[in-house]
Amino acid sequence: MGPETRRGRYGIVMASLIAGAAVWEAAGHVVSGAFWAPLSATLESFLESARSGFVVRQIMSSFQLYLTGLALAILAGAPFGLVLARVRWLRVALENYIMMLYATPMVALIPFILSIMGFGFAPKALVVFLFAVFPVIYNTVEGARSIRPELVEIAYSFRTSEWRLWCDVLIPYTLPFTMTGIRQAIARGLVGMVAAEIFLSPSGLGQMIMMGSQNFDTPGLLAAILIIVLLGVALMDFGRFLENRFAAWRGV
Amino acid sequence: MTAHTLSAARPATNGAVLRAWIASPLFLKIAAGAVLLLAWEVTVRALAPAYVAKPLAIARVFTTVISDPQFLAAAGATLGAVVGGLLISLVFGTAVGFAMGRIDLVERGMRYYVNSLFATPMVAILPLVTLWFGYSADARLAVVVFAAFFSIAVNACDGARSVPLEYLEVARSFRAPPRHNLFDIVFPSSLPYLLAGVRLAAGRALVGAVVAEFFISIPGLGYYILYNSRTFKHSEAFVAVILLVAVGVSFEVLVNWLTRRYLPWARRD
Repeated sequence: MGPETRRGRYGIVMASLIAGAAVWEAAGHVVSGAFWAPLSATLESFLESARSGFVVRQIMSSFQLYLTGLALAILAGAPFGLVLARVRWLRVALENYIMMLYATPMVALIPFILSIMGFGFAPKALVVFLFAVFPVIYNTVEGARSIRPELVEIAYSFRTSEWRLWCDVLIPYTLPFTMTGIRQAIARGLVGMVAAEIFLSPSGLGQMIMMGSQNFDTPGLLAAILIIVLLGVALMDFGRFLENRFAAWRGV
Repeated sequence: MTAHTLSAARPATNGAVLRAWIASPLFLKIAAGAVLLLAWEVTVRALAPAYVAKPLAIARVFTTVISDPQFLAAAGATLGAVVGGLLISLVFGTAVGFAMGRIDLVERGMRYYVNSLFATPMVAILPLVTLWFGYSADARLAVVVFAAFFSIAVNACDGARSVPLEYLEVARSFRAPPRHNLFDIVFPSSLPYLLAGVRLAAGRALVGAVVAEFFISIPGLGYYILYNSRTFKHSEAFVAVILLVAVGVSFEVLVNWLTRRYLPWARRD
């Protein structure tokens, strides 16, 4: 594991990234401009809209939507999951429905939301919320199921107060699972965000994609997609970081 | 005293039986379902316009919709694309994932591409796919494959990398040919990962098919929902949602069952 191996490792990664960029560039020159654009033209289009502040405005607008929906999903989903963790009969009653909603492709509800709530911010935030909330609840409940009953019994035999029981048993035990849910919610919420921005009222990055496609501006379209890809990667890494940060005390 | 206890015992057992039945999981689940449906019906009646879907209205149109040939054709088209896309992704995704997991050079060369495309929401590439494939069923298949391929590849790669080193060493000391390495060691020990990948991929493929139909407007469940909700036939549209949920849940249940039944050593979560 000397410096040479390490250099070799980065060398291959760099070579693959450079090769990718070269293929992208070459494809743009070979294929008709309607299908693909060179990397240089894409970056140029990105810089141009960055200079006018357009990109920043669109990203901010998307972020506002994304964070609103995601925050609501976490704030509603995690406490609800914890209540289900504590109240056994409620969990038994609802867990199959939660699993069902977890497996539901929420995009299918977008046309209903459009025709009931119309355009505007609220229906779009609702879409992000619906995409993100069920992974949080589902995983929190899964965690709740894994709490060893002995722990609660011991807490009872020491006459633990309800408050201490939540702080010392329930929350620490379910938090790693909730974090898995939040990681999934981070990824699903992004899908919800782009879907809402394309299929409900256009705004943010979704609008950038649609503008690129409708104006036959392939470099603009690719630039918008590239931003979303990078955003997706960054968010996924952040989600993994969160999950690993709290996975340490996950009892096996 | 004895008489008193005896006379009190009878109603008490009846009460206990009733109470036990009420506390039984099945009853709780059914009751919760009934309460949720009732709440939906009441809320929509009280607050929402008449066209909004509610349980009784959906139940009324349910049989008409599921015997409608147009609906059946839509369901067949969507599910065909989902299953076809999943099979394509399974074959190629496993191949790419195994190559990445076992060959260091491939892994280093492809990691960034596979990971970043895995993190990309498939909705974002819809316009690009329609540029390439036109407004056709091929475009839908392409979106489904894009949605499913990378989760299978990523999981196959993790699986191939998790193969215990001793197994491969034993195989090497017996001079096993690479073919045996692949099919007798790498494949079985990454099966649990592959199944987890398929589970994830199935959900994403379903979303991909619906989203593609919204965008491309070709016959399918997604388009059926879009068309009927635009003409304010929400109850009819919701039957398609129910079918999608049923398919999503069946995939989930099927994969969980397969894992439990055939891969008992894989109960990691």
